[in-house]
This record gives sequence, C-alpha cells and structure tokens, in this order.
Amino acid sequence: MTGEPTNFLYPFIDAQESDSGPLLADLAASARAKAAESVALRRSTLDANADLLSRAAAEMARRFAAGGRLFTFGNGGSCTDATTLAGLFARPPGGDALPAWSLTADQAILTALGNDVGFELVFARQLIARAAAGDVAIAMSTSGTSPNLLAGLAEARQRGLYTVGFAGYDGGAFADSPNVDACFVVRSQSVHRIQESQALLGYQLWLAVHERLGGKDVGAA
Amino acid sequence: MITTAIDRGLSADLAEDLAAAAFTLAKRFAAGATMWSIAPGSEPHALHIAVEFVHPVIMGKRALPAVALTGADLVDQVRVSVRPGDIVVAVSGADDPHVRSVMRRAPAWGATTIWIGSGVRPRGGFKASPADHVLWLDDPDPRVPATGGFVLLYHLLWELTHVCFEHSGLLKPEAAEEICVTCSDEVRLGEVVAYSDPGANGHAPGTARVRTACGVETVATTLVDPVAPGELVLLQAGVAISRLGEEADR
Repeated sequence: MTGEPTNFLYPFIDAQESDSGPLLADLAASARAKAAESVALRRSTLDANADLLSRAAAEMARRFAAGGRLFTFGNGGSCTDATTLAGLFARPPGGDALPAWSLTADQAILTALGNDVGFELVFARQLIARAAAGDVAIAMSTSGTSPNLLAGLAEARQRGLYTVGFAGYDGGAFADSPNVDACFVVRSQSVHRIQESQALLGYQLWLAVHERLGGKDVGAA
Repeated sequence: MITTAIDRGLSADLAEDLAAAAFTLAKRFAAGATMWSIAPGSEPHALHIAVEFVHPVIMGKRALPAVALTGADLVDQVRVSVRPGDIVVAVSGADDPHVRSVMRRAPAWGATTIWIGSGVRPRGGFKASPADHVLWLDDPDPRVPATGGFVLLYHLLWELTHVCFEHSGLLKPEAAEEICVTCSDEVRLGEVVAYSDPGANGHAPGTARVRTACGVETVATTLVDPVAPGELVLLQAGVAISRLGEEADR
C-alpha cells in the first residue's frame, strides 16, 4: 500500500502507479546498460582466452582431420547453447560440415539413463556407448560444478577424448580438474552475461577450427 | 578477428522495442497468459526461452508458464496450443514459412506476438506490423543466430519482464489492452475452422465456423464462398467480407 513512510523514495514501486512512461524509459535504459556490460564482458573474455582458444582449436582441428567427432552437453540454458554449438559444427552457415552432436537431443536416452542409472550419469553413459579416442567433448556450464558434466568429462578424458569445459564465475570445479584439457572461464557473476560470452566463445572456437583446417573460407562476421 | 559480433551493442530503437515487448509480456503474464516459443531452424533458442521463464536462474524470481514447441507441423502445434491472451515468441529469419504463417494467424487466435530475428526485416500482415513486437538485429550475416546476439535479446526480455512485476499498478487487468474486440464495426481477422455447405444437413447455408480472438463463432460467408478450413477471412458485423490471400503479406 501507499501508507509506508518511505514510499516517497520509490515513486514507481507502487500499486497505484498508472503512467507507464517512466517505467518504459527505465527499462530501455536498463537494456542498454546490460547490453553494454555484455559487450564489455565478451571483449574481455575473448582477450583473456585468446591463447587457449588458439590451442584448443588446433587440437580440435587435428582430431577432426583424423576422423574425430564432437560431443557437446550441458544442463538447462547451457544445454541449449551446447546444442547450438553442435549445430554450428554439423550444419554450418558456411564452410564444411563436421560431425558433432548434442547429448541432450534424445529424450528417450536421457530419460532412460536418468531413470535407470541416475541423472549424474546421463552424459557419461552416452560417451561410453558412442565416443572413442580421437573424439572431442565440450561441456557447457555456468557454475562449472554440475556433477553430470564432471562425470561426463571424466569419462571422456579416460577414453582419450580431448575435453573442453566452458564455465563462469571463477571456473568452479572445471578450473582445476585434471579431466578438463581446455577450460574457458567467463569471469562474471551473472548467469545471463556468462552465457552470452560463452556463445561467442563457442562461435570463435568453431571459426578457429575451420581456419586451422584450412578449408573453404567461412567468411568474416 | 570478427569485431561486429563482439561489439554489437543495442541501438536506442531496439532498447525501446525490448522495453515495450517486456511490458506487454508482463501484462499478459499477469492476466494469466502462457508463452509459447518457436524457433524453426534454431530450435535451441525456443528451448532456452522456455527454460529461462519456467526455471529462472535468479533465486526468488517467479516461475512463469512458458513452453517451447518444436518439431514438425509447427503451425498446427501453435494453433492447438494457444488460447486468447497468450503470447507467441518466435526466433527466425523473416522468410521462414512456418513463423510467417503463425504470425499471420495469431490475431485470429487472440495471441500477442514477439518476433526475434536478424537480417532483412519481416513485412506487415493483417496488421501494419508483422508481429506485435519485432526485436530485430539488422545484421545480414547468416551466422548472427550462433554468436549470442539472440541469447542477449531474450535474456534482456526476461530481465525486463521481471522488473515490470515490481510495478503491479501498471499490470492491472484494466490497464491491459483488450484482446477481444467486440465492437461489431471493427474489421477482425478470423481463421476458418469448418465450412458449412449451402443447404447441408443441419447447417445454415453459406456459413462457416470461424475462430477469432473472441472464440469460435458462426459467420455468413456468402460474400467469400467457398472457404476452406485454415483460410483467413476478414470479418465485420458477423459477416466474412473478404479472404486474406497468401499474397497479402508478401
């Protein structure tokens, strides 16, 4: 209600509010500020990870050239970003298609494994069935601590896959895990901003792999 | 190195479009809407949008009804899913035939539409704008969908929508615009559900059951006969006055 003595400090947070003009102006300003924050983080993330990205792309290109394949996985929003990344490799808007799949694409397998052996093993078990030495695994996460991603990375590493982790914050458990060959950390506390930078990192990784493969030009954005 | 994908900021126009779309979303959700997301060709975006609203990453933010529709027969899926007052958010280029069809039909279903995309902008349909809210990155590069530009847009949409929930006074039902236009003089869009053959048993001749934002109603079709299920017609005062052909939005 409006009777609170401090309400004059918050003129817009009010059930009696009727003019949407100030709110819309605030929203637009907030959108621009958050977008600017996202741009700054994307730029600093690419700078901080440039060398690692180059090394990871070289190793991935070497494996693709030798017949290796890519498996991506994640949970929630990161699962969708991992699926977008696999799609970028397998059905690229330019350049050659490379074999890549998201391990969350099949609901039957995901629910069968989740139900029978537990959610922690939904990715590891698929890698046991499908992956071989010479392949590549990419786990996308914001926390870097998800048990099913860590289990998947451990299984991948043990099977001779090249393992790549995407994490936010300080990298979580991915950062110092011996099962992660290349760990890309987006140093932010915001899940949204982390995912936006990870999407660009993934895109740059795809671009760099194609540069290393020396195939047809995929163009410059 | 690519620079545009990194430096792509938010123009003042797009920021205003986002603000308006978020305010609409908040009003619709407050009135009980469900949000349906589609993204033919880049379905992970539809899934990401739904999970964002259903299971917020920020603790304490309310879960909102959002569902991704994926797979075949997308137009049929949306048709059977939406109810008047619901929201349809699409992520696609301007030329995607499924999204174009959904956007054309949405006014007949009483759905509010948001269209996120990049490249050449979509053109108008029944209304002047092809969707109620168009959130567009005017970058012709076909790789824009994979660089995080769309992720930023729907993240912002979610963040701004939740800011709106702090302004309950602006989300009251009377503040929301009317979905069902009952004024009989207004031209409305309808989608034919079933056609009644003239003189067919049990049906009035020259009528059809037509879905509009107000529900399914029986209208006279003598001016436009014959009509087939799925066709779009313009209605005025209980009469179908013309057909909205496929060319209408080309």
